[in-house]
Amino acid sequence: MGSQDNAEAAKGVLLKKQSRVNMIRSALPVIGLVAVCIIFNILTDGNMWNSRKLILNQVYVVLISTVGVFFIMSMGGLDFSQGSIMGIASIVVCLLSGVNMFLAVIGGIMAGAAIGAFNGYFYVNRKIKSFIVTICTMFLFRGFIKYMASNSPVAASMKVYDYDTTPVKLGITILVLATGFIVFRFTRFGIDLKAIGAGEKAAKFAGIRTDRVKFLIYVLAGAITGLAAFVNIVKNGSATANAGNQLETQMLIALVLGGMPISGGAKVRFENVIVGSLLYIVLNNGLIMMGLTPQAMQLIQGIIFLIFVAIFADRQSLSVIK
Amino acid sequence: MSEIRLQVNDICKYFGITKALEHVSFNIAKGEVHALIGENGSGKSTLTNSLAGIYQKDSGTFTLDGKEVNPANQVEANNEGISIIVQELGTLDGLTVAENIFLGHEDKFVKCGIKNTNAMNRKATELLKQYGFDRIKAADMIENYNFEDRKLVEIVKATYFKPKILVIDETTTALSGEGREELYKHMNRIREEGDTVIFISHDLPEILRLSDTITVLRDGIYIDTVKSSDIDEEGLKKLMVGREVSGKYYRADYGEEISDEVVMKVENVTVPGLISDISFDLHKGEILGFGGLSESGMHEVGKACFGASFDREGKVTLADGTEINDIPSAISHSIAYTSKDRDNESLVMNQSIRDNICLPSLDELSNKAGLLSDKKLYEFAGIHAKTMSTKMQSVDQFVSNLSGGNKQKVVLARWIGKDSDILVLDSPTRGIDVKVKQDIYQLMDKMRKEGKSIIMISEELMELIGMCDRIIIMKDGRINGELMRDENMDENVLISKMV
Repeated sequence: MGSQDNAEAAKGVLLKKQSRVNMIRSALPVIGLVAVCIIFNILTDGNMWNSRKLILNQVYVVLISTVGVFFIMSMGGLDFSQGSIMGIASIVVCLLSGVNMFLAVIGGIMAGAAIGAFNGYFYVNRKIKSFIVTICTMFLFRGFIKYMASNSPVAASMKVYDYDTTPVKLGITILVLATGFIVFRFTRFGIDLKAIGAGEKAAKFAGIRTDRVKFLIYVLAGAITGLAAFVNIVKNGSATANAGNQLETQMLIALVLGGMPISGGAKVRFENVIVGSLLYIVLNNGLIMMGLTPQAMQLIQGIIFLIFVAIFADRQSLSVIK
Repeated sequence: MSEIRLQVNDICKYFGITKALEHVSFNIAKGEVHALIGENGSGKSTLTNSLAGIYQKDSGTFTLDGKEVNPANQVEANNEGISIIVQELGTLDGLTVAENIFLGHEDKFVKCGIKNTNAMNRKATELLKQYGFDRIKAADMIENYNFEDRKLVEIVKATYFKPKILVIDETTTALSGEGREELYKHMNRIREEGDTVIFISHDLPEILRLSDTITVLRDGIYIDTVKSSDIDEEGLKKLMVGREVSGKYYRADYGEEISDEVVMKVENVTVPGLISDISFDLHKGEILGFGGLSESGMHEVGKACFGASFDREGKVTLADGTEINDIPSAISHSIAYTSKDRDNESLVMNQSIRDNICLPSLDELSNKAGLLSDKKLYEFAGIHAKTMSTKMQSVDQFVSNLSGGNKQKVVLARWIGKDSDILVLDSPTRGIDVKVKQDIYQLMDKMRKEGKSIIMISEELMELIGMCDRIIIMKDGRINGELMRDENMDENVLISKMV
């Protein structure tokens, strides 16, 4: 009997230790956000707080488009083509903005969804790993963007500036976040996504139509980024050849900073999107205000990224990035 | 008293929080066949795998001829004089027969960094000839041979260097009569040469016939070591289970009529390379057993009934005429499935018990707007986990931390929650201790009485005989016989149809 008690005790200690690690993991991004805000405000003599409007203005696009990638990463996939989706969708929004603003929004969403479907087709039907497919489409559509916008940026109709108001941008952002939260947290779709991330085969045997869900999620993520492209154009007025460049890396960093395990699965929280995006933008702006060169910034970003991945990686299921 | 070859001293081994071996100590003598018996999950294979360097023990020592051995892998174990023939396939595809025999010992044929393939093949041919396996050619790729021939190659691989201890883990069930005789011959040879065989088998008559000494393990704990001449089958069973094995363990009833009502019709089902032309009817309230060797295709039959087979031909139809072609439609038409590969196919390991139990029932649990409430999920999971008396901290706990038996309880809780009428249970008691096994048998009996139909696929003949109304035996992907429930059924009747 003695050994049994010992084993039970050991089990209790193990579980306690696990829950403590989990608590630290979930608290760290929030603590980090608060700490980074305080530190940069002190270092910049409060300049950061004064320019909060400017900083918030940058956060909308990242926040909206990260929701889609969050879904993709929950089920264990990756998407490197998000930047190119943003670029193409931005061009479409610009071109259609002259005709009708509503049409421009729909057009952006459709363009994003179409590229998402393209990714999804190769990923699901042709069974190629998601990061390989999306790296290919990243280059493919970046090529299109360069072709369209190299000589001169594609300019939007002047009417878009009418929409460059905080209520519009914030409204769209909150709408996307709220919908995303409800879908992820309170629908079958959300639980299915996490289940696929945690174990695709078992999810399939539990009756989840995994292929359909995987395809849909890429279409959805494309559509969401297409919507974010509208906000992007409203803010910038035109799409350059660099539109959306490196957006995919920014999203990835934002999500990881927000505490997202890179392999997805059951430990994923929707808060990762919000905390992560804010943390990323504050960090970025803080470094700019400190007067760092872009090179030094990239270096620091790389180091921070690595540290967070090391902390949040779910090593038990790390082999399953799809 | 003969000399001691191996001292097993206070060995412990844990898998996560599952205790596979707890303070196991006993001695094995020179020049004997020492059988290791116990129920599934009692720790036999874990012990021998730790000895052979496949697993690393957590504490305790193995003392071989007075010297402590602690092999880090199989090659080191070989060098210490320990070799093993494992339960599963122990040869590697993509290599030749000769390369498999000398795997890890290629050095003997290497000069200046270059392998002398000819010398290796010559030596292997010589060995094969010596063993009488002439039809196996040393230079052929191993995958050109069937399971049985590959096992013979393993026998050569494990014994050619005259090991001090040879472990044979559940190998005989994979071999036909001829192959078995071959193996028995080599076991005897090794014993007569004064070396030791550790023999693991479920076949008690075989054990009593072949071994000198028998050690019994139960739930990872050492129970007793007895002389084969001092005990009989009943005595061994009692030691293995820990009490008198009565009719209560399995179903007690005999001679009940099977209902005429057919709930599922399987017609001419073929899965290329795995099963061909399988047809049978499943009746209301019956337990239909499938037995055979692991490679007989019986596991694929279960998948086919659940719509989970890739490239399936033929028809699986329910009583109302619905055809089952994919998993979601199988589940929505009240079919449940538990896989042999519990950790990969039945359970989402890194996810909570709650989500695992709720997954197939999410549609029923969501409200009209398609939204789910946490409270409802907790209640649902809690109720069904409790029905199965799952040992857990809370339903938030990840299933990866549960023991094999508790994992299976979660799987079953999921389908009880779904209230499925047709249950396809593939190896439902695999790697599960006696207590939980009994729970599962009782659950199956209860379900049967409620009019649910069960397909039970199992490699354990005793549980098929004990639980099933009918048993279909598979061989080489085809149905090779059907037996009705009978109190006097003998394992050997089944075995003769399996091999």
